[in-house]
Amino acid sequence: MSGRLPTVFLVDDEPEVLKAVARLLRAEGVPVSAFSSPREFLDQVDPEAPGCLVLDMSMPGVSGLEVQRALETRGCHLPVVFLTGRADVPDTVRAMKGGASDFLTKPVEDEELLGAVRRAIEKDAVLRRERAEEALVRARLETLTPREREVLEHVVAGELNKQVAGHLGTVEKTIKVHRARVMEKMQASSLADLVRLARRVGIGPP
Amino acid sequence: MALSWVTVAWSAAISASLTLALVNLLVWARDRTSRSHLLFATASVANAVFGAVELGMLRANSPGHLAVLLRWAYLPFFVTFCCLIGFVRLYLDAGRRWLAWAAIGTGALSSVVLNFLSPGSLRFTAIERAIPVRFLGETVSVPGGVLNPWVKIGQLSGLLFLVFVVDAGIGVWRRGDRRRALTVCGSMFFFMAVALVNAALVNLAVARLPFMVTFTFLGVLLAMGQELSVDVVRARELARELRASEAELREKERRMSLAAEAAELALWDWDIPDDSIWITPGGRTLYGIDEGEKFDVARFLSALHVEERDRIRCLFEESVAGSGDFQTEYRVVRPDGRTLWIAARGAVERDDSGAPTRMYGVSFDVTPLKVAERELLQKHGELAHLSRVSMLGELSGSLAHELNQPLTAILSNAQAARRLLARSEPDVTEVREILNDIVAQDRRAGDVIQRLRQMLKKGEVQRLPLDVTELILESLRLMRGELAGRGVAVTTELAADMPVVSGDRVQLQQVLLNLVINASDAMAALEPTDRRLLVRAERDGDGGARISVSDRGCGIPADQLEAVFEPFVTTKDAGLGLGLAVCRTIVRAHGGEIRAENNGEGTPGATLSFFIPGASPGA
Repeated sequence: MSGRLPTVFLVDDEPEVLKAVARLLRAEGVPVSAFSSPREFLDQVDPEAPGCLVLDMSMPGVSGLEVQRALETRGCHLPVVFLTGRADVPDTVRAMKGGASDFLTKPVEDEELLGAVRRAIEKDAVLRRERAEEALVRARLETLTPREREVLEHVVAGELNKQVAGHLGTVEKTIKVHRARVMEKMQASSLADLVRLARRVGIGPP
Repeated sequence: MALSWVTVAWSAAISASLTLALVNLLVWARDRTSRSHLLFATASVANAVFGAVELGMLRANSPGHLAVLLRWAYLPFFVTFCCLIGFVRLYLDAGRRWLAWAAIGTGALSSVVLNFLSPGSLRFTAIERAIPVRFLGETVSVPGGVLNPWVKIGQLSGLLFLVFVVDAGIGVWRRGDRRRALTVCGSMFFFMAVALVNAALVNLAVARLPFMVTFTFLGVLLAMGQELSVDVVRARELARELRASEAELREKERRMSLAAEAAELALWDWDIPDDSIWITPGGRTLYGIDEGEKFDVARFLSALHVEERDRIRCLFEESVAGSGDFQTEYRVVRPDGRTLWIAARGAVERDDSGAPTRMYGVSFDVTPLKVAERELLQKHGELAHLSRVSMLGELSGSLAHELNQPLTAILSNAQAARRLLARSEPDVTEVREILNDIVAQDRRAGDVIQRLRQMLKKGEVQRLPLDVTELILESLRLMRGELAGRGVAVTTELAADMPVVSGDRVQLQQVLLNLVINASDAMAALEPTDRRLLVRAERDGDGGARISVSDRGCGIPADQLEAVFEPFVTTKDAGLGLGLAVCRTIVRAHGGEIRAENNGEGTPGATLSFFIPGASPGA
């Protein structure tokens, strides 16, 4: 987790709206970085920067939904709060499916906007934490031998040592040794902890 | 007692003269301008008096008696003499003026001055005896005595008279009026000559003849009377012809009036110097003027609607002063309060010096035409309004967006300011900036509402000078949200020297919005990057503006280029197909035209453009 302050990236083609919303957020003490076009924002965005994106939905050139997709392809996972002048249902659904954090209609109430921004920033922080943890788990996973990896997969699937030994064609005692090595390398304090870590990187039952 | 032929003859001559006098006096009394008749009557009376004196002389039995009568005989003679000269001058308009005055002058000198100054009379200084003469079977008296030498002056005046008459006769003859020359001048010459010879013979006492001047003058009078009676007869004929032609004229006038009534035309004729207007009966009804009421320009103007009076007065003055012809329409308020629209055409007629004499023309009621015109205009207006409302319905999203933006800015600004003020040390500068922004945004929202209200209003069609560039930019501003939502990118090419046109802002904006919506619709199926729309404005024609909207869609089939402006022709699933038909009505009402073209080789799409003529000065 970096020590940078979460920033609200604000994109709206309407300069007066951009200015006003930026003022509101700054008055609340939230750092704001304002852009008058999606292009400008996409060109300058730092995928690592924490915070959230407040995006006007209907802008000429690139639509809000396209910006959302473009961000994904750049590996930027900023939660998006959509602002729109007219909320039609298909747009809302698409935006939410695309992972929109919130969907607000203009004119927007300060409490609503600030709440959405706070939630988005919180979500960003959570996601960032999760992504950091996942990276850590992956790094630990890398240290396992192929045999240990096999043992891990069977163990988190809920099999007993004897069953694992049966599947892998060895004796229970050997499995026990492998299992202890896996617990150590994965820095798991219990079987439940191991299952949680494994699930973080997509191993085990969903 | 035996019948006296002398008495009979002279009495007959006297009564004949008096009869002639009476007849001509009556003619003169009826027509005071016929002074020749008065002269004739005077001459006849004088001749009658002369005849009476002559008769007295014939019957005189003493030289003293004869002398008195002879002296006084010169007075009626002179009167007749003058009347005859006057008659020639007045009636024939012939004879030299100086000859006339010379004859009258010598006549006055001899017959009046010398006659009364001489002892006795002009003829005899003294009458010694009354010579008895046998005449017509009885004895009459003829004077005999010492001849007055001054009688030569009298004879000179007679000769001057003859010369004058001959001169006048030649003049009349040369003028081609030979009959008059012979009857009037010839008879005068003949009888005067006879009278002179008769007098001369009496003087010389050769023939022993009495004076018979009465008869010779009677002859002249008869010849003149014949001439005058010919005139009277001719005058009667003329009068009859005049009556006939007047009747014919009245008949023609009646037919013309009938035709005019049938065609519901009012014919009028303004006598400018007299300021009186003749007008057909139907015309009186048209203007609400009672039969028999005096009709002049002031009365005409008072029949007009108050707002029209000055204009029409100026128009009349201009026509009379200048061009002469005019054509106009004006409102007339009838006594029953009804207002009529009347169209009038007229022309001014002038005399040789160019002064206006009369103005004449026709007027007719065009009220039904005007009413129909206004109803049509109203229908057009209603249709345009309907189509506008439905178009605004289509644009509602865009319009909401246009309103939403300033409202969003205002709300966020206001809430930001509230938060800033809640701090222990508020940043007053920023709050002030915020308030300024709020004011500006509020105005912007107000403008949008104002524009919308205008578009929704069913107002009167106006003709005001319009800035084309501003019109286009404003319309595109209204459409911004819509175009963004549809992913259409707009380019504008607006000439810098756009003229000012005259038109209805709302309606022209409607046309433009319609074209832009259509163009956007035509590109709905394209890839977003191809949805490009071009709005151009350029000068066209004589100070007019051409505004065109080009899309990059699939164009219009060649055989449909005209039909797209027909009502109920549409290529869209939604829509009545009235949009372009209404556009055409609006553009035509502005005196312009609208057309559709395909962009041509290599460039996909179509261009719809319309032309609006420039605002004429003073419009």
